[in-house]
Order: sequence, then structure tokens, then C-alpha cells
Amino acid sequence: MKNEISLQTRREFLRTTVLGSALSWTVPAFLANTFSALQSDAADSATQIITGKDATILVVLQMAGGNDGINTVVPYANDFYHRARPKLGLTAEQVLKLNGEIGLHGAMTGFKELFDSGNLAVVQGVGYPNPNRSHFRSTEIWQTASDSDKVEKYGWLGRYFDNCCAGADPTVGVTIGGQLPEAFFAKTPTGICFTDPRNYRFMANGRRGPGGLDLTEQAYEKMNEAEAAQIVAQASSPVRSDETNGQDARATTAAPDDNSGGTIGALAAGMPMQGGKAVDFIERMALDAQVSSEEVRKIADSVQNQATYPASQLGNSLKLVAKLIGGGLPTRIYYVSQGGYDTHTNQIPTQQRLLKELGDSVKAFMDDLKAQGNLPRVLVMTFSEFGRRVSENANGGTDHGAAAPMFIVGNKVKAGLLGTYPSLAPQDLYEGDIKYNVDFRNVYAGVLESWLKTKSAPILGHQFEPLQLV
Amino acid sequence: MLKPLSADRWNDETAAHLLNRAGFGGPPAAIRELADLGLDKAVSSLLDYENIPNPTRDPVWAVPDPEGNKNLRDAIQKATPEERRQIQQQQQRLQFDRLMELRGWWLNRMAKGPRPFQEKMVLFWHGHFATSFEKVHNVYYMWRQNELFRRLATGNWLELLTFAGQDPAMLIWLDQAESRKEHPNENFAREVMELFSLGEGHYTEKDVTEGARALTGWSLDRLEEKFIYRPLFHDDGIKTFLGRTGNLNGNDVLAQIVAQPQAARFITAKLWSYFAGQPPADALNDALAAVFRENGNNFKPFLRVMFRTEEFYAPAIVRNQVKGPVQWLVGSVRMLECDLPPAPICEAVLRSLGQDLFAPPNVKGWDGGITWITTNTLLARYNDAATLIQGAFPPLAASDFARKPGGQGGAIAERQAQRLRIGGVSVDKIVSPEELADKDLLVKSLEHRLLQTTLRDEQQKALRDFLDTKTKLDNADVQTAIRLVMATPQYQVT
Repeated sequence: MKNEISLQTRREFLRTTVLGSALSWTVPAFLANTFSALQSDAADSATQIITGKDATILVVLQMAGGNDGINTVVPYANDFYHRARPKLGLTAEQVLKLNGEIGLHGAMTGFKELFDSGNLAVVQGVGYPNPNRSHFRSTEIWQTASDSDKVEKYGWLGRYFDNCCAGADPTVGVTIGGQLPEAFFAKTPTGICFTDPRNYRFMANGRRGPGGLDLTEQAYEKMNEAEAAQIVAQASSPVRSDETNGQDARATTAAPDDNSGGTIGALAAGMPMQGGKAVDFIERMALDAQVSSEEVRKIADSVQNQATYPASQLGNSLKLVAKLIGGGLPTRIYYVSQGGYDTHTNQIPTQQRLLKELGDSVKAFMDDLKAQGNLPRVLVMTFSEFGRRVSENANGGTDHGAAAPMFIVGNKVKAGLLGTYPSLAPQDLYEGDIKYNVDFRNVYAGVLESWLKTKSAPILGHQFEPLQLV
Repeated sequence: MLKPLSADRWNDETAAHLLNRAGFGGPPAAIRELADLGLDKAVSSLLDYENIPNPTRDPVWAVPDPEGNKNLRDAIQKATPEERRQIQQQQQRLQFDRLMELRGWWLNRMAKGPRPFQEKMVLFWHGHFATSFEKVHNVYYMWRQNELFRRLATGNWLELLTFAGQDPAMLIWLDQAESRKEHPNENFAREVMELFSLGEGHYTEKDVTEGARALTGWSLDRLEEKFIYRPLFHDDGIKTFLGRTGNLNGNDVLAQIVAQPQAARFITAKLWSYFAGQPPADALNDALAAVFRENGNNFKPFLRVMFRTEEFYAPAIVRNQVKGPVQWLVGSVRMLECDLPPAPICEAVLRSLGQDLFAPPNVKGWDGGITWITTNTLLARYNDAATLIQGAFPPLAASDFARKPGGQGGAIAERQAQRLRIGGVSVDKIVSPEELADKDLLVKSLEHRLLQTTLRDEQQKALRDFLDTKTKLDNADVQTAIRLVMATPQYQVT
């Protein structure tokens, strides 16, 4: 069916479309993929559709809520630290020492093992200029890699997809979760998300027709694929974006900068889009859903985990990612998250539980990948939207702060402590917060250039010095 | 600008649009009725809901319980650690049960109640002052906040902002209850400006810290379960907030916010976006904000103008809004004239679609728009349609049901779920014998009821091919056909 449609329309499509640059978001990814494969010379040279078992993979792990970095990578020997945190301060006995000054929170035994075996890098004091203390704004800054006074439409991973993965399979980016993170927002929507692969499908419960085919499922497929031909025709029509006569609903919505209503591009709350009606976007998603659900279920059913993960949401997410990697899904970016770090009140038990979950889950993930033989291909990078104030608050918690450490995990990383620990001396603080030493975009640049092997400037907007991390 | 829609454009199509947006849609007969009223009366029939009797009773636990709270506190103090854990577990189960009941209670008001517009506004305010049970941990507070939104749904901006700030759930959610002069907590002070009233860039960091100082003293009496002003917590010093200087308090902060022209612009833009499906152009929003201010910052007269303007019925607005999960569920129930599924099913369905009522992802609320649609939420919509129409409980919802926090896991929950009765759609009620006998008529009737437009030719053909596998259709075939129409991209927009 899919092939029929693409073959019917391919010639016309190729005649009117320059691959790589003019692929509209309304073109279903599987068709784009097919065309790219057929016309590989026409594709943009920056395109890196790498499939199979040799591409590097980045796993982004979001610690949502603003993790208290100071009690995660702990300056246990520092007097200023203990003065600012009479109740929350951790002593030398309570931490897992990394050196004579700094230790990991005692719950992070998994990370300590990874550190000792040379698989963990701690980037100290990561932040950005003019830090914002709002969860949403700061998360947005991290997700879009923007300056703190600028609002970017697209996410940094979305810009990676746009720049480097045009025409790729929709599974080039996979989020374990119900919604795509803002980091994935792209000019050409890319990436899929789900929580449970068993349910990632259309469930038929109708009658079976001749040959045992389910009639409901057949009808569903046709009713959701039938538009493919039209989508291609529309995308390949040269008049599409010039027609503004207000009669054809499709044509009227194609002007990308029309902010007067009628364009999805104007949807402030939703994912930014260029032109198109809401229903066109949904058609595209419906096609991606059909194609990817088949791929994902096949792998999840056939691959076994080879490590024991803690029973937690993060554990389950990484368990699933390990399966998908083991099964050879052509994914470059996986995105998982762990919430609950917004510890304004009674921080000690909450952070203890979360950091244990984090350390144990990532350790199990690494063991699993090692058993698969995929360890050298995978890099895990953690981030949180901000750290927390140096001084504890009156409720046994900490309030929103600024800089915090990031963790980079993998057997190719430059293991150890990277950067320097920001000073906790009161005169060195900015409004009660430690100052960052490393801009997070230096870390992103390092990941993009040395791990994903692509130029970082087009993705990050400026040339940031790539942090040497592998 | 803001000219009323001309009378010759008021018809079934525009009436359906009004009912879809200002309410949750309805069956063809309801649309016809609205169309017959004419624009002004149709708008009033939705907006002037005060005189429509509302039969819904409050949940039995929806009263403050100082006595019970005191007993519980004493019991916890006397308990051994083991007993304490048991009490905690018991309380948690109780809260989860009540949360499910509350969700069902509210959805029932939306799907079956006589005041859909009021509930649509409550849903707006819930998304706007997005407060989550995940932190509040008290269903009574969540209900109270919901009732507040209902009582002031179309009232005055300053009054609503003030009551929302003093609302127990909000006091916990944004930590105002913990704030005192020695350590002012900035969470509410910041979010009230950033997310509730002004937007980023319309205040300074200094306004946040000064506002937080002024707001100290606003607190929560946890035994009596109500707002309390604690003078000992209040910072009596001089503060400067948004240009006003003095010994300001919480009321001054909110009054000063609402005095900013931006506070009107911010909320009119958000209301327009919610109802029209996309943000207003600047000129349009200027006009909308002017109407709002001319009407004393009262929502009702502003909304009456909004729902009558021709801009609201522009072709680019109509049928171009992605249904949110609640709109999808409630709207389907209204259009199909079927029962609302039992609360556990509704809870599982909305979770699978990405909108847990009383548990928005963060204080920013749900992003909405096309972010509702991912590959997996789309498949969930297609599958949940089967639950709703055929009364079947597919594994999807069952496993989400099993994942319910505090719920029983795995196979037991799935079996339990299977026993829940879901009404499904009564085909006899919505399809005439003539339509059942004539497949062309049937397809037309389903398109009219479910989409208020037509399927594409290829889709029509696929649906006809399905129906043509049988010569004589029974009710189950029609149910499947309904599900198939619901499993199209077009059904996901309104």
C-alpha cells in the first residue's frame, strides 16, 4: 500500500521538489525517507541518515524540577557549605568521596562505581549567563539552547534533526513519555514518543475478512493512509505557498509568517510549525504512528534485557531504551526523564530516593549495553533546569538557584571531574547562587561535535567552544 | 474590528462552531436548536447560565473537617512508626479514591450538565491557574479550587486573582503557605506575574522579590482548611512593586498587577487563544483588551462580545483547533448521546490521551494545540474510541488503569477493569432505520454528526468498502463504523 502510493506520485514529486531543503513537514516521513533513499545524490550533504548498528547514540536524561546540585556533587570539606546548610549539609562520612574535597551524594553508589571504572564524567558548575529561576523558562532555555533573554522556537535536538536528519525515519528521535519535550520541537516534526510499546498500535476488535485480515484494521489503515498521495501532491505543488485567495483552506494557511490567525505557526502554546492546518499535521502524525508502531513492537517483543533495573519509572524507561538499542532501531537520540527534584520542603528523603533511582538505573543501563556489546555506541547526558540556592530554606529544603553539575556517562568519556567547582564563598555568590564556570552550550557543542559528529554552530546559533568530553 | 457576525452567516455550521467552542459540542438536534435562536440568543443561552438549575450534588466529603484533621493528627503523633506508615497508606488510598471520584464528578458536569459553557470556563481556569494534586495531596482542596473557578468563572479579574491566590490548593502548590518575612518564598510572587497575569518581560526580578515580601502573611490554616492571614509572618517594611511604594500587602500586589494594562491584554489573549484555537493578532487583541477594560475587567460582558464577533467565525478559525483530551471525551459523549463511562475508565482514557485533570504537568498548564498530538496519543485516541463506542476495554486503557498510582497492578486490575460496565453507543438512538438500511445515507449521517463536514473521497471509499463486506448491517457494524470515523485525523479537530 505504502509503496503503491509512493510509486504513483514519485515522479511528479521529484520533478518539483528539491530534496533536503524543500521537504515540507506535511510530507510523511516514510515517504521522505523513500525519496531520499532513491535520490541520495540530491540530498543535502549535511544529512546523516545513519541506520544499522554503527551510529553513535545520545541518551538525554532530564532531572526535572531543578536538582540540588550542591547536595549531589558535594563539597563536603568546604566550611562555607556547612555554614549555609546547617540542616542539609552532608559530612565526609555521608558522601562517596571523589577526592579530598568533593564527593557524590551517598545514595549514588551506581554513579560511584561508574566513576571508579572510568565511565563517568562530572561537569562541574554548568549554567548560563543571567540565570532564570523559573522552572519553565529555565527548562525552555536548556531545551532550546537559547540565551536567557531570547526565546527560540525550536529545540536544540529539533535543530539537530532539521540540520542533520532530513528524511530520516521518524524513530530517529525517541522519547519515552507521553509528550515530546521542547528540545525535540523542529521545523520538520521528527521523533516519536510512547510509554509502553505493547500499546503503541491500533487495536482492532472487529471482524476478520477473507484471509484472516482484520477488516477494521484494514479500513483504519486506508482511512489514515489515503491522504498520503494528496499530501505529496500538495507538497510538490509549486503554487502552494503563494496562493492566498482565501478560498482554498490548504493554500490560505501556507504562508509561514502570517501571524493573524489561521496558521499553526501562530500557535504560541503548541509546537511551532510553519504553515499548514492542524489536520494536516495530524495526518502526518497518523502516518508516522502506523509505520513506527510496527517497528517498535517488533523489537520490544524480541529483545531481552540483560541487567536488573530498579523498579522505578526511570528504570523502566532505560530498560526500554536498552531494548530498542539492542534491536537496532535507527535512533540517534533517546530522551528519558525523571521528575520530582523541586525540593522546596523536606528535601532529604526525596533527594535520597531520586538520586538512588538515578544512579542504580543508569548503572543497570550501562551493564545491559555492555552485555549487548553496544556500550561503545552510547553516551548518556543528564541535565536539570537549574541547581538550588547555596543556603537552605526554613522548610528543610532549598529554593531555585542557578548552576549545577551535569553527568556524562559512557565508556568513551573523559572520566573524572571536568571544570572546577564554583566558589561557595559568600562574596563570590550572585544573589545567593554559585556562579557557573561552564556554559551548558559548551557541553552541547562537545556532544554534537565529538559524539554526534556534526558541526555545532548551525544548531546552537553561535560557535561555542566544544567541551572535550570524549 | 469586532463587528458582530452578520445574520446571514448564522447557520448550522456557525452554530455548531459556537457550541463546540463555548461548550463541548452536541448532537445535530442541539445544533439546530441553537441555530434557530439566532446569534445573540444563542450566545446568551450558553453564557447566561445562572438561572439554569443545576442538579449536581457536592461530593459527601466536600466539607472542611477540622475535627477529623485533629483526630488524625493526634493519632499520627501517638502511633508507632509501623502504625504511622499504615495510616499514611490508608490516607493515600482514600485520597486517590476521592481524586477519581472528583474527576468523574467534574466530567459528568461537563458531559451531562446543563451549563456546558460554565464548565468550559472552569476548565480554562484550571489550565490557567494550573494546580496539581501531585503536590497539594488533598482532594478537598482541589474540589474547593474547582468550585472557586465555577463561582467566579465569568466574574471580575481582580476578584478571581485574589481568591485564587488565597485558595488553599494554590497556597500549597506555589509555597505561599510556607512564606514568612525571614525567608520570603518567591514562587507564587513570580508565577502570579509570569504565568497568571502579565507574562515574562513585564516585571523585573526586583518586583519578584519585593512582591514576595509583600505577600508574606498569606498562609494556610491546615486544621480549619482555609486561608489565614498571619500578621507575624508579614514583612511590614516598605516595598516597591511595579512602581508603587509603601508597606504593601498581598491585596496591594494583586491590585497593582491588575492595574497594569498588560494584565488585561494578557488574559484576553489567553481567552481568545483558548476559544479560537490560536493567538489573536496584536490589533485584534488590543481591541479585545479595550472591551475588557471598558467593562470593568469583568469577563462575562467581554466574552459576550467575543463570541459574537465575525473574527471568531473566520474560516481559518473554524474546524482548526485540535481537540484537547477532555474536549475529545466530553464532546464525543455529547455528540453520540451516550453514557459517560465510569470514573475509573474516564481517568484511564484521559491519562492515555495526556490530560490528567487536577494534575497538569506543571504550573504552566497543558501546552495544548498540536502538542496534544503525538504518535502515541493519536493511537490512544483511535483505541479509546473503541472503549467509548463499543464498550470494549482494550488493553491500552487496562494497562493504564493498572498503572494508576495507588491502584492495584497487573492482571487483577485488568480483570477488575473488564467488569466495569461501559454503556457504549446505542445505535438505535442515533441512527434511523432508513439510515441503517441505506449505506450512503448512513455515511452521510455519521459525517454530519461526528465531523460536521465530509470525509475525503478515499476515506469514504474505505468506509464503504468496510460496510460493503456485509449486505445487512447490524448495530455492531455501525458501532465499528463510528469508531472508524473517530479514528481519522479530521475527528481530532473541532
